[in-house]
Parts: sequence; structure tokens; C-alpha cells
Amino acid sequence: MSNFLKLIYNEVLKIFIKKSTWIMFALLAIILVGFAFLNNTLVEEYTKDNWKDKLHQENMELQKELDEAKEGSDDFFKEFALSEIERNNYHIEHDIMPLQNGAWSFAHDGSTILGLVSMFTIIIAAGIVANEFNHGTIKLLLIRPIQRSTILLSKYLTVLLFGLFTTIILLFLSLGIGAIFFGIEEMPQIVLEQQDGFTHVSLIKETILKYSYYFVNVIIFATLAFMISVLFRSNALAIGVSIFLLLTGGAIVQFLSDREWAKYILFANTNLKQYANGSPPFEGMTLSFSITVLAVYYLIFITLTWFSFTKRDVAGT
Amino acid sequence: MSTPALELLKVKKTIRNKEIIKGLDFTVNKGEVFGFIGPNGAGKTTTIRMIVGLMKLTEGDIRILGNSIKSNFKGAIEKVGAIVENPELYPYMTGWQNLKHYARMFPNITDERIKEVVSIVKMEKPIHQKVKRYSLGMRQRLGIAQAILHKPAVLILDEPTNGLDPAGIREIRQYIRKLAKEEEIAVIISSHLLSEIEQMCDRIGIIKNGELIAIQDVHESNEGEQKTNNVPILLDAHPIEKAEEIIQTTFQIEVQKREGFLSFQSEREQIPSIIQSLVQQDISIYQVATSKTTLEDKFFDLIGENTIE
Ligand SMILES: Nc1ncnc2c1ncn2[C@@H]1O[C@H](COP(=O)(O)OP(=O)(O)OP(=O)(O)O)[C@@H](O)[C@H]1O
Ligand SMILES: [Mg+2]
Repeated sequence: MSNFLKLIYNEVLKIFIKKSTWIMFALLAIILVGFAFLNNTLVEEYTKDNWKDKLHQENMELQKELDEAKEGSDDFFKEFALSEIERNNYHIEHDIMPLQNGAWSFAHDGSTILGLVSMFTIIIAAGIVANEFNHGTIKLLLIRPIQRSTILLSKYLTVLLFGLFTTIILLFLSLGIGAIFFGIEEMPQIVLEQQDGFTHVSLIKETILKYSYYFVNVIIFATLAFMISVLFRSNALAIGVSIFLLLTGGAIVQFLSDREWAKYILFANTNLKQYANGSPPFEGMTLSFSITVLAVYYLIFITLTWFSFTKRDVAGT
Repeated sequence: MSTPALELLKVKKTIRNKEIIKGLDFTVNKGEVFGFIGPNGAGKTTTIRMIVGLMKLTEGDIRILGNSIKSNFKGAIEKVGAIVENPELYPYMTGWQNLKHYARMFPNITDERIKEVVSIVKMEKPIHQKVKRYSLGMRQRLGIAQAILHKPAVLILDEPTNGLDPAGIREIRQYIRKLAKEEEIAVIISSHLLSEIEQMCDRIGIIKNGELIAIQDVHESNEGEQKTNNVPILLDAHPIEKAEEIIQTTFQIEVQKREGFLSFQSEREQIPSIIQSLVQQDISIYQVATSKTTLEDKFFDLIGENTIE
């Protein structure tokens, strides 16, 4: 093994030798199984023979409610009903059956708990340096014939690997659990609403895209937590601040949405999928704008982390 | 003369405008055991942290086998093994896993070498237990094991006797002497208890308030005093006043009374004649002892009251 790979191996070992890490994965599995049970009981099933009739029927009911609704009242419902009717018509016209329970649609829904992947990666990122300081083992780690920056890099890459691994684990877990509960769909298609009407894509492609785009979020929050833990050498502070921002980032952007500069906030830019389908929160935001903003934040985070770790004294514990 | 194992050149350290180390300048040679003694807060740990590169030097330089820790960190540190302050290891891993972990940070350390080191520190039995279940002494041993894993040329042990039982201290003492003699390793041991490390050291450096106030050759100091003309003597005699008078008048030696003993200094050759003349004048002699001034006394003389600044 090359020397650098041995460093990564050490870091991975220190993560997976702890029970708490395994509890995270167990938690993912438990939540997914819970979802599967809920889906099993809640969701109505379309069948190959009756789905078109059912959609027609739904449309008629929606139309009836629309006609009965008074002029000017409840705009929100009207918008929703019209869009549903249009969606149903799209399904019928293109002969695309609405999504049924199955491994891929379950995995697609499973993306709603991708936030947990960010959270778990934050916890690992916050501990990987700070715990060495807490245990005092940082002293024995840094007195080896290895530059501090190399040690830092091995730890940072390990965090990213953990995030990637956990993202993939969530995908496979939800596929697996979905397959066990519902079986696997054949060539599933998903209908998506875009700014200029509806379109359809392969559900498999869409699901993988969703997980992939989300990995940007994982990287950003992991890097943030990693930075805080290196700057303040505190595990708890890094976890607290990062998870707080993970949970409230969207709300912060919303709250400040009337300000011109709000689009420069990190959390307005972490969801790059909004450019593929969906709409960005601010007028005039583009994919390259967001990538530039992310790159600037990222460079600042990495530079601060690097300076703090390589230049500061390791004084009393 | 070959390059010294460790050189400190006018090393200074200032933390938050407070000068903690005020220009340390000393050398430790290959095969030498150097004791680094000083009271709490003297700056021993700070100095050791600078030697191993955990803290930057404010001024001066440190060289290990000629390699500067500032400009050639890798070259310098690969020849150093150390325990800094407490031997802190990963509590959630076994002793063996800890050693494997550190072994991976060097190019080629075999499992055989790790086993060898484990047997040197006599940790074969508990090596596969989690470190969190170790006693302080066991952790100290494991700490020493990781420090010598890569056969360093300079071994730095910050208070290695802390937490060890007398048998453990004796083992370490023997092992360190052996390392120094057979493998030509330079060993730096810090302690605030001189008596614990005196016997394993060739030289002692005494540090106080960030300054090296004395360097003392251990063996020289004992033999040296034996040869001098003034051997300190303690005498238990009865009646004591009469004995005092005889020594003072007959031999022109100044005598003091201390805790029921007579205390005085005389030439070695003169001792038998003093005793003889006392016996002849009907003084009963119960005990004659030459009292060595130990390094410990010297240490206290030098350090005086320890005021922590
Ligand atoms: N990070 C720090 N910031 C400020 N002062 C410090 C720091 N670390 C140590 N000191 C000061 O430096 C001095 C030397 O401390 P050091 O730990 O080197 O002493 P020591 O000789 O190892 O003592 P002990 O026998 O108690 O281990 C002390 O006065 C201490 O207060
Ligand atoms: Mg100390």
C-alpha cells in the first residue's frame, strides 16, 4: 500500500471501529423500513388495466370541484387542480403509467432523507480532527515523518469518501428495501413539471441524478463542519453550527429573499438540481453563477482550514 | 567528533508576549541519557513540544542528527520517538491496533517488529485489550512502545515514570540504559523527581523558569566529592559535648550539632585519627557516617523556592 493510502486506511479504520458509526447506518435502514411499511398501507395502487380510467375519473372530479369553486376564491387550489389535470393528461397522452410502488420509486422517494447523509457526514467531519485533540492523540499523530498538510488531506478525503459511501449506501439500501417490499419496476418513467410544461425521463436516471446532485450539498456541509472543527478544535461546536445551518439554511435564504445580496448566501446555491428542473430562488441566477459562488466559499473554507491546521502550535491539551 | 544526536541552539519561545523559554542551549550525544529536571511550569514540556515540532520556535534552532526541525522536518522527526506529557492513545482501540496504526505512518515496520516492541515493554498479555481498560502504567508502557517502534536515534520521554510502580520504573531504567548503550540512542527524560531518574542518567540539566540553570554530570559529581579534602561526616557519640570540644580543639575543625549528631568536614586520611583520639578519651562512638551531599540537595540549592510565575 502506498504511504498515503495507509493514512486513509488509518482514518477509515478509526471511523468504522466505533459503534456509533454503525448506528448511523442502522438508523438509515430502520427509517427506510418504516417508510416501506407506511407506503404499503397508504398508497393506492394503479393497475395496468385501470390506470387510464382512474386518471380520467380523477380529472373529472377535479374539474367538477373547479367549476363549483367560486370565482376569485382559493387560487392555490385552482392552480393545483389545473396542474394535476394537465399532468394526468400528459400521462394518458404519452401512455406513461403513474409511478407505482417499486424499488426505483422507493429509492426516488428515499432521497427525501438525503439530509441525514449530510448530517452523518457532518458528525464524522466534526470529529475527525477535533477528537484527536480531545483524546490528546494529535501529539502522537503529528510527530511522524509526514507533513501536517498530508495528514490533513488524508482526513479530509476520508470525510468525503464517507459522504460518498453513505450516499451510495442510502441509494442501495432504499433500492434493496424497496425491492423486498414492492419488487422492481420495468423501465419506469417519471413525469416532471418544468417551466415550459411537462416532460418525462427515465426514473432510474432521475433517481441517480438526484443523489448525485445532492452530493454537492454533502461536500459543502462536510467542508464547513471540518473547517469549524479545525479552527476551534471543538467537536460539539462544529456539529452544532453545521447541523443548525443544514436545517435552517433554506429558511435563512427565504427570510432574506427580498435582499439583493441574498443570492450570494451559500445555502441559496447548494442545490444545483434547481437548474436542471425546478426554478432557482432568485431572478437571474444561473448554474455557472452558483458554481462560482460555491467555489469561492469552498476555497475560503479550505484555505482557513489549511492555515489553521498547518501553522498553529499544538499547545496544552 | 560525530554530529550530536540533539542540539538546541539558543531556543526561545514566547507565548502571548510571555517569554516561556529563555534561550536554551544544550547538546545530547549519541548513547547518552540526559535528564531534564525542573519544577512544575519550568518549561520542560514546552521544550519537548518544540523538539518534536508540535510548537514553532520563536527564536533559535533545534537539530536532530544535524537536521533542522524547522527546515527539514521530515528528516529530523523520522529519527525521533517521543511521549509528550501523558501517553494518550486511542481508547477505543486495542493496544495492538494502536501500534499498528502508528506503524502505518512509517515506510516499513513489520508485525515482527511490533511484537518485539510489545515484549520489550512486557505488554504481551493485555495487548489485545482496549486501551480504555488499561491502567496508567500500562498506557505508559504502550506509550514507550510506540515511541521506539521505528528504532529512533533520539528518544524523548516526558515524565515516563509517572504512574509506574517501583518495579515498572526499574524496568524502564534498565531498558533505557540498555537502549542507550547497545543502540547508541540518545535519550532525553524529563521529570520533576530527580531521585526517580538520577540513576539512569549520564547528565542532568536543570531548568527553571525557562532557563537552564545547571548541567551536571551524574557520575562525576559523586566521585568528585569523594576525592575532595572535605568529606562531610556525621558522628553519633556520647557524651556529645565532650566529643565536640575534642574535635574542635585537637583538630581545629568546626563542628555543628544536628539532630543529636555531630556534623563536620575533614580530610579522609584524618578520620581514623579523630576516632582514635575520641576513643582514647573515653567517648563512646555509636556511629560514624560520611554523608554524601546528594544531587537532590544540589537540586534544591539551585532551584530554591519554586515560585510558579
Ligand atoms: N499554551 C500555553 N499558553 C500560555 N502559556 C503556556 C502554554 N503552555 C504552557 N504555558 C506556560 O509555560 C510554562 C511552562 O509550561 P510547561 O508545561 O512547559 O512546564 P513543565 O516544565 O512541563 O511543567 P510540569 O512539571 O508541570 O509538567 C508554564 O508557566 C505555563 O504556564
Ligand atoms: Mg510537563
